[in-house]
Amino acid sequence: MDLSKLVPFNKHTVRSFFDFERSALNIFMFWFSMGLVGMMLAGIGIYLIEGHHAYGVTRQHAWGLLIAMYVFFVVSSTGLCIMSSLGHVFNIKAFQIVGKRAIIGAIITILTGFAVIAFEIGHPVRMVIYNVLTPGLTSAIWWMGTLYGLYLFFIILEFFFLNNANHKFSKIFGLAGLVVGLAAHSNLGAVFGFLVARPIANGVFFPLYFILSAMVTGSYLLFLIYGWRYKMKFPPEVKGFMVTLSQVLGLLLAILMFFEVWRALTAIYGHMPERGDIAIHMITSKNFLIGEFLLGMLIPFIIIVWSKGRAIKAMVYASITGMIGIFFMRYDLVHDTQLAPMMPLKIREYSLPPGLVEYIPTATEWMISLGAIGLAFMMYYAADRFFNLDHDPEESH
Amino acid sequence: MARYGMALDYKSCINCKACESACKEENGILLGADNHRIWVGVNEIEGLFPDLSIGSSNFQPSQCQQCDNAPCQSVCPTNATYYDDNGVVRVNPDQCILCTYCMQACPYDARYIDDRTVTVDKCNFCSDTRLIHGETTTACQATCPTKVRIFGDLDDPESEISQTLRDREHYSLKAHLGTKPKLFYLT
Ligand code: SF4
Ligand code: SF4
Ligand code: SF4
Repeated sequence: MDLSKLVPFNKHTVRSFFDFERSALNIFMFWFSMGLVGMMLAGIGIYLIEGHHAYGVTRQHAWGLLIAMYVFFVVSSTGLCIMSSLGHVFNIKAFQIVGKRAIIGAIITILTGFAVIAFEIGHPVRMVIYNVLTPGLTSAIWWMGTLYGLYLFFIILEFFFLNNANHKFSKIFGLAGLVVGLAAHSNLGAVFGFLVARPIANGVFFPLYFILSAMVTGSYLLFLIYGWRYKMKFPPEVKGFMVTLSQVLGLLLAILMFFEVWRALTAIYGHMPERGDIAIHMITSKNFLIGEFLLGMLIPFIIIVWSKGRAIKAMVYASITGMIGIFFMRYDLVHDTQLAPMMPLKIREYSLPPGLVEYIPTATEWMISLGAIGLAFMMYYAADRFFNLDHDPEESH
Repeated sequence: MARYGMALDYKSCINCKACESACKEENGILLGADNHRIWVGVNEIEGLFPDLSIGSSNFQPSQCQQCDNAPCQSVCPTNATYYDDNGVVRVNPDQCILCTYCMQACPYDARYIDDRTVTVDKCNFCSDTRLIHGETTTACQATCPTKVRIFGDLDDPESEISQTLRDREHYSLKAHLGTKPKLFYLT
């Protein structure tokens, strides 16, 4: 059977697969990605030998950088899925060119997220078995994992039908992927929001904020994906889309900042223990001020407002700082949730009573986490080689 | 079946840590600061000399509260954490996937990773070593030189613990969270 009849794809030999334009930037990106993946493999090797002792996680800070990175990737995936659905599910004209490229991005980022979490969950195979045999229906992790699995299935089908130019089915699975993705993603917020023991995380904020920040992340990623695709020389159709995207992103960032202000005020007001003190610590930390706020929100926001959304090239660069900011958001989310010690008495001789819980990621954690970015780059390169990801203006929607 | 709980006459505690040692010995707990099922918290003396508050200085032995409404149980994605017939919150190591979500959810920092099974473990009121053989003691309780610990069946009105809880004022840790702890501190 000829596979390419079922799934249209470009045939490649090894030579033609690596036959990219030898520009300095391309060659740099190639070796950069290879280096990152090498790093990830080395990190995985250390983990396989030493287990969780290779990580900086402790009894009081059981979740570390890998969880943050998993959240980073799956937020990226949901974000791309939501932003692309604006075009081919909701028929907003400017977004109709996004389709395939965003969906393949969503597939790649969630696969990368799964690849990272596989080295954090102690027994991933056992997870698959007992998720089915003895499901914990009151567990947000169970719902999140199960729904994300379903989501991946739907968006793969969506991509399949987009690739076959079957718009009826791509729309059906696009909608299914969107709904299940939103449910999965807000459940990921609930993994933190349901923690009654931790007042700083407990409540409605995270399930909502996750969806909003996913949309911001999806927008940044679209800038990066299209900036890279057209090497900053945008055809008019794409230009129009990117200006609209800037304006939407401006609005999203304004809402995000509004959310953050009220979150901080309600957390600090009244100085409730384990909430007020932690919130003050949080918003006065460099991670928040420089990472989350300046890089993640303010710089892109100022560019959008000043240029009225027209500075699309600047926005591509600002999306790099934006994504760094998003990384800090994920890291802080995981770290700040665990800052307050649950056992507030001194329990050992010659030790001080516990202050805030500390955590420093180890080299192994960095290797796996950052290395995974290279894995995502490589999968994207391969997808771009094998499939035609550009929007075909002839196709009717 | 029974519903086991423990009352702690904590003002009698002398911080000898015999209970911690007995627990480690009984349950074969590995060495290392993070590996402990039970602990003794120290409230330091407050105030500046000579105005020291003697009453502020005391010891608070603690461990898993065997919550009747246990957050660690509701968050477990595979039901590895379960209530056994004695109302004791247990972990089945064959089902635990080591997601450590329960360690996030427990308000008392009562859980740790056991490197022998590479799963999460916690105090189980000596279920494997004593309760299963029909004994109704725990290692920490049996060893305590000042009789801080009263262990027994809360459903039996004649048990020592039930009588004590009727006669004496007591409180539970973080009771406002609705976890319904079965560890009681006698005042
Ligand atoms: S104290 Fe913690 S580990 Fe023990 S039952 Fe309660 S929530 Fe679970
Ligand atoms: S670490 Fe084990 S016991 Fe704890 S929530 Fe995960 S599967 Fe359940
Ligand atoms: S054995 Fe008894 S007195 Fe000694 S530390 Fe434990 S509870 Fe306190």
